[in-house]
Amino acid sequence: MRALLVEDSDELVALLKKGLAQGGFSADAVRTAADAAHALATMRYAAIVLDRGLPDDDGLNLLRDMRRRGDSTPVLVLTARDGVSDRVTGLREGADDYMAKPFAMEELLARLQALLRRSDNLLGRRLTFGNVALDAEGRQVIIGGAVRAFPARETAVLEILLRRSGNVAPKRLFEDHLFGLSGDVGSNAVEVYVHRLRKMLADSGATVKIHTVRGVGYLMAEEKTG
Amino acid sequence: MTRFRSILSRVVALHVVAIGVISVAMPLALYWLLNEAANSLHRDALHSQAVTISGFLKPLASGVVLDIPPELEPLYAGSYGLYAYAVLDSAGHVLFSSRNDGSALFPPKESGNGEWVVRRRGTGSVLFGLSVSRTVDGRTYVIQVAQDLSHRDVIIDDIVASFLPSVAWITFPLLLALLLIDILIFRRALKPVREASTTAATIGPTNTEVRLPEKAMPTEIVPLVQAVNQALDRLEKGFRAQREFTGDMAHELRTPLTVIRARVDSLESGPLRDSLRKDLENMTHIVNQVLDIAELETFIVAGDARADLQAVCAEAVAFMAPLAVGQSKTIALGGSEKPVWVHGHAEALFRAVRNLIENAIRHAPTGGSIEVEVSADGTVRVLDDGLGVPEAERESIFRRFWRRDRTKAESRGLGLAIVARVAESHDGSVTVENRPGGGAAFTLRLRPAAA
Ligand SMILES: Nc1ncnc2c1ncn2[C@@H]1O[C@H](COP(=O)(O)OP(=O)(O)OP(=O)(O)O)[C@@H](O)[C@H]1O
Ligand SMILES: [Mg+2]
Repeated sequence: MRALLVEDSDELVALLKKGLAQGGFSADAVRTAADAAHALATMRYAAIVLDRGLPDDDGLNLLRDMRRRGDSTPVLVLTARDGVSDRVTGLREGADDYMAKPFAMEELLARLQALLRRSDNLLGRRLTFGNVALDAEGRQVIIGGAVRAFPARETAVLEILLRRSGNVAPKRLFEDHLFGLSGDVGSNAVEVYVHRLRKMLADSGATVKIHTVRGVGYLMAEEKTG
Repeated sequence: MTRFRSILSRVVALHVVAIGVISVAMPLALYWLLNEAANSLHRDALHSQAVTISGFLKPLASGVVLDIPPELEPLYAGSYGLYAYAVLDSAGHVLFSSRNDGSALFPPKESGNGEWVVRRRGTGSVLFGLSVSRTVDGRTYVIQVAQDLSHRDVIIDDIVASFLPSVAWITFPLLLALLLIDILIFRRALKPVREASTTAATIGPTNTEVRLPEKAMPTEIVPLVQAVNQALDRLEKGFRAQREFTGDMAHELRTPLTVIRARVDSLESGPLRDSLRKDLENMTHIVNQVLDIAELETFIVAGDARADLQAVCAEAVAFMAPLAVGQSKTIALGGSEKPVWVHGHAEALFRAVRNLIENAIRHAPTGGSIEVEVSADGTVRVLDDGLGVPEAERESIFRRFWRRDRTKAESRGLGLAIVARVAESHDGSVTVENRPGGGAAFTLRLRPAAA
């Protein structure tokens, strides 16, 4: 998969390229916003890793131009400036995700993969976490290599948790997904499905666990070994 | 002048004083002028009387005879007549007199030729008269004519008497109308100043580019406006320099950290890589805390900034939940489920709540729980079930670089200083106490805002 890396620090570019290669990306690197605009005009990329602090411009301006042109390539914005007054703005400008420097290479790859999963063209990919996998298209749950038959609603809950794995999925997300706009959701309906899923996962020997963050949502985390 | 702070009230106050003075002085001046005019009319009338009387002097062999036509006699008849007269020769002897006792009207010395005098007589009435000299047949005679003021020409005095009150009645409303007109003129003239104030009110740390308009300003105020604008230029420069500095510092510190982090990540896995990662995480945490506190030092919350405290807390709990879960601690959000609007900057509040949760997670025992509670009155409580904060430390923990255990690399004692600074910049407060069952309870209070 081809990714565009827009970053002006040569050292970082070399290291990121290596890391991205390990994650299955071949990355083209450019150092300025102008070069990036040129590259985008000639090539189609699966994803873009965009630094805000470019020598010729704020990376966000490039992003804004892209979105204005209708280019919806997933963009992961990196920033060294993560001040109180300039956070979040990046996301509002149309970034799909936002990471503050310094970051772990693993996290960068995980977020890029999450971005690609979210974008339509790669919907059929497999979601995995721990020893749990979900074939999003076939709605097949695979735990520890064995295929399990989970009911539709429990599978939907699992999908949401997997897409957010490692982060809290807000309760509202489940309500919207499970019951759509059909309105009247029993206040503990979601809790019931989560409870059932939790039991199914435990019975199937999954290495992941669903934690309740009361008042906010649910979090799937890998169970600590030992 | 402390009682009249506005220019308009000063103008009005001075104007009222001026009206007071003028409405007294002007009738007095008019009265004096009218009296002058009336007196000169009387003088002319007396003068023509004297001339008329002198016309009745007829020469005789031994002197003169006064021949007043009978129809004019009543005019000079004793104390009822309108006028009194006396004719004196050059030596001062009275030749003729309308008076019963035949005396002069006033001593000849005091009645120089053509002059008029006013004398007070024993009765208290005022006599007003003049004398005219005339030469008949080579001899000079002095004709005195006088009038008792109580008999003065009534018409002339009536004019004076009735004119004055009407002058007073017209002067007052006129002056009041003038005052109103002046107020309108002043309000118009001060309009640009008022507009400039409205503009100035929008200037804030988030909006430093605004300048006061100089164009429509009255010239007296232009220098002030220019001085203010120049001060704003300097302030904006200072603000920008400060903002750029913390921004640049963030870039300069975080970029090398990112490079190191990427290098460490590319090392082979093992205890060395793990401990380097841990060190780097501590270092990153400290850099972030220092940058936050540097930025918050000059951070000012815009006057109309609003934030949903409930949403901020939900975000902070979600953000910190993986850390809590990773340490086998439970975290929950309680209290209001509806938006809680407070005066505030969402990101700054997020950082404050995040720091409180971070501390709570650090101090809760394994298996313990952290509870975040939002109330509709704009307060957040962050509770843990650790050892709590001893009474003696409840103020010092909010100081920069204060921490209980100075040997821990991950603890730099900046978190609560950030919370305190955020509270201060929001006109709020942060306090700590212990829960009845042990454990710390931090309370962040903010100002509620209308929904
Ligand atoms: N919930 C708590 N329970 C008990 N003690 C606390 C709690 N929160 C803070 N303290 C004490 O207050 C000190 C200062 O806290 P603060 O958050 O300012 O710094 P820190 O957590 O040590 O470092 P930093 O937040 O910069 O990483 C801590 O070191 C700890 O001793
Ligand atoms: Mg702390």
